[in-house]
Amino acid sequence: MIVLYLILIPAVFALLIFFCRKSLLIRSLLLLAGFCHLAGMVYLLACPSSMPECLKNWLVTDVYSGLIAAICSVLFCAVSVYIFFWLPAAQKFETAYSTMREHIFCSVLCLFLSTMSLVAFAGNFGLLWVAVEATTLASAPLIAYHRSPSAIEAMWKYLVICSVGIGLALFGTFMLGVSMRFSGSHAEGLGFLMIADLKNTLDPQWFKAAFLFCLAGYGLKMGLAPFHVWMPDAYGESCGPVAALLSGALVNCSFLGIIRVMNVAPDKLLPFCREYLIGLGVISLAVAACFIIKQTDFRRMLAYSSVEHMGILAILWGLGCDDAAVLHVMGHSACKMLLFLTAGNILLAWGTAKSSEISGMFSCLPVTGFIWCVSILLICGAPPSPLFLTELLLIRSAGPVLGGIVLLLLFVIFCGMTSTALKMCMGKVEHAPVAAAAEKAERLILIPALLAILPVLAGIYCIIQF
Amino acid sequence: MNLNIEIVMAFFLLSCLMLTACSRMLHCIRIVVLQGLLLGVLPLLLAEHIHTEQYVAAALNIIIKAAALPVLLYLAMKKADVKRELEPLVSYPVSLLVVLCGIAGAFMLSAHLSLPESSSNSLRLVLPVSFSVVFTGLFIVMARKKAITQAIGFLTFENGIALFGTGMMLECGLAVELGILLDVFVLVFVMGIAVMRINRAFEHIDSDKLVLLGETSGGNEK
Repeated sequence: MIVLYLILIPAVFALLIFFCRKSLLIRSLLLLAGFCHLAGMVYLLACPSSMPECLKNWLVTDVYSGLIAAICSVLFCAVSVYIFFWLPAAQKFETAYSTMREHIFCSVLCLFLSTMSLVAFAGNFGLLWVAVEATTLASAPLIAYHRSPSAIEAMWKYLVICSVGIGLALFGTFMLGVSMRFSGSHAEGLGFLMIADLKNTLDPQWFKAAFLFCLAGYGLKMGLAPFHVWMPDAYGESCGPVAALLSGALVNCSFLGIIRVMNVAPDKLLPFCREYLIGLGVISLAVAACFIIKQTDFRRMLAYSSVEHMGILAILWGLGCDDAAVLHVMGHSACKMLLFLTAGNILLAWGTAKSSEISGMFSCLPVTGFIWCVSILLICGAPPSPLFLTELLLIRSAGPVLGGIVLLLLFVIFCGMTSTALKMCMGKVEHAPVAAAAEKAERLILIPALLAILPVLAGIYCIIQF
Repeated sequence: MNLNIEIVMAFFLLSCLMLTACSRMLHCIRIVVLQGLLLGVLPLLLAEHIHTEQYVAAALNIIIKAAALPVLLYLAMKKADVKRELEPLVSYPVSLLVVLCGIAGAFMLSAHLSLPESSSNSLRLVLPVSFSVVFTGLFIVMARKKAITQAIGFLTFENGIALFGTGMMLECGLAVELGILLDVFVLVFVMGIAVMRINRAFEHIDSDKLVLLGETSGGNEK
C-alpha cells in the first residue's frame, strides 16, 4: 500500500499545483510533495511490508527498487528545496527568453517524480516500459524551461531519440515474451518473479535478441555511448535543478531496466550479456574522454561526465561487482546533483555556460568556486569520494588489460575536467558577473554545500569499512 | 480466418510502401489511420474466443490510433502550415528502393527464426511484416526533414512493434496495453506542442536545420 502512496502522492500534488497561481503557494506545495515522498520512503525502508496478492504481478519491492526510489526521493527533496529559493531568482535574472509558467513547471516536476517511482516499483516488463516511456514524456517539457531556440531544439532531439530508443526496448520486451512461449508454461504476463523462475527454459535465440534490443533501448535512455547523443544537448540546455534530476535520478531508472533484464537471463547466456555490457561501458568511457578534453561549455562537460560514469556502471555490472555498482549509483547521483546545482548557480551569476568567459571565481564568488572545485574532485573519484572506492574495485577486478585501459581513460577525463574547472576558478575576473545575481547565487550555494557533506561522509565511511 | 489475417498483413505491407512514396502529409496521416484500424481489428481475427476485455482493447486501440492521434497530427500540421515534404533527405524513388530492400531483408531474416510449436502457419507472416513496418518507421524518422513527418514515422514504428505484440498473441494484460496506448498518445501530444514551439522559434519545422547544438557547430562556437 505504501508503494501505491509513493507513486500516487506526487501525481496528486501535480494536480493540486496545476490549479494554483500564487508563486509562494506553488513552491511550498512542491516542497511539501518532496517531503511527503521522502517520509513515505523512510517508512517503507523502516518497516518493509509484503505486497498484497492482487498487486504481486504489477509491483515489486526489492533491493533495487528500494535503492532507486530512495535516490529519487532524496534528490527530489533536495532539488525542491533548491527550487524554492532558485525560482524567483531565475525569473528575475535569467530574462533573455520567456520561461515556462511556474505552475506548469512545478506540476510537471511532480509528475516526473511519480513516473520515476513507478519505474522503481514496476513489477513486470510491460509496466516497466510504460513507466520509463512516461519519464521521457514528463521530463521533455522540463528541458525547454527556457524557451530559447536551442532549448527547444534539445527538447525535440530528446523526445525523438529517446522515444525511438525506448521503442526498441518495447520490441525487446515483446521478444522476451516470445522466448517465454518456448518454455511450454502457460503463464501469462511478463512479471519479473515469474520469468526468473522459468529463466533457464527461455529460448536462447529469442532471448539474445530481446536482450540486445532492451540494452539498446534502456542503454540509450541511460546515456551509454554510442547512444548518448541526446545527453549533452539535453543536460546542456536544461536549467540546473532539472539537469540535476535528469542526471542524478533518471539515468538510474533506465539502468534498472537493464538490471531487470539481466536478472532473468538464462545462466548460460549470462556471459554473453556481460560481454556486451562491458563493451558498451568501455566505448562510453572512450567517447567521454574524447569529448571532455576540449569541451568549452561546462554543462556539456558534465553531461559527458555522466556518459563516463554510466560506462563505469556498465563495466561494474558486467564484471559482476554488484555491491560496487550500487555504491557507484549512489555516489554518482549525489555528486552529479551537487555539480549541476552549482553549475546552475554559476549560470545564474554569469548568464553564460561558456567556460572561457568565466574566470576568477575564487575572487568574486569564493564559496561557489570552492564548492565547484570540491565537487569536480569528488566526481573524478578523488578520495574521500565513494567513487574512488568503486573505481579502485573496478580496476582491481578487471584484469590488467581492461584495467589499464580504464585507468588511462579515467586519467584523461580527470585532466580534462579539472583543467576546465580550475581555469574557471583561478585568474583575474574578466567578465564580472551581475552583482545582484552573484550575491543571490552565493547565498543559494548553501544548499549544494550542505549536500556536499553527504557523499564526503559516505565516502569516508566506505573507505574505512573497506 | 487465415485468409483474413493474410489480407490484413498485405494491407500493412502496402501501407509501408505508400507511406514511403507519399509526399503529402494529409495522405500520410490517412495511412496512419488505416494502420490503426488494421491493428484494432487484428486481435479479434486472431483470437479463438473473444472476451469482453479484448473488445475493450480493440475499441480503445481504434479510438486512439485511428482517430485521436491522426487528429492531433492534423492540428499540428494546420498550425505549422505545411502540406508537403518537398525535399526529403532521401528522395522518394530511393526511399522506396530502400524500404523494398528492407522488406526483403525482413522476410529473409524471419525465415531463420524459430517459432513456438503451438503457433499456426498464418502467424509466420506476422514476423516479417512487423519487422518491415518497424524498419519503414525508423527509415522515415531518419530520412525525412519535417518534424511532423518524423512524428508519423515514429507512429509507424510503434505500430510495427504493436503488430509484433498482438500478432504473436502476447498477453501482457489490459493495464499494460492501456499504458502503452496512453504513452503513445501523450507522446504525440507533446510532439505536437514541440512542433508548434519549433515553428515559433525557428519559423520552420525542418529538423535538419536544428543545428544550434552539437560538437562540431554550435556547442563550440556559440
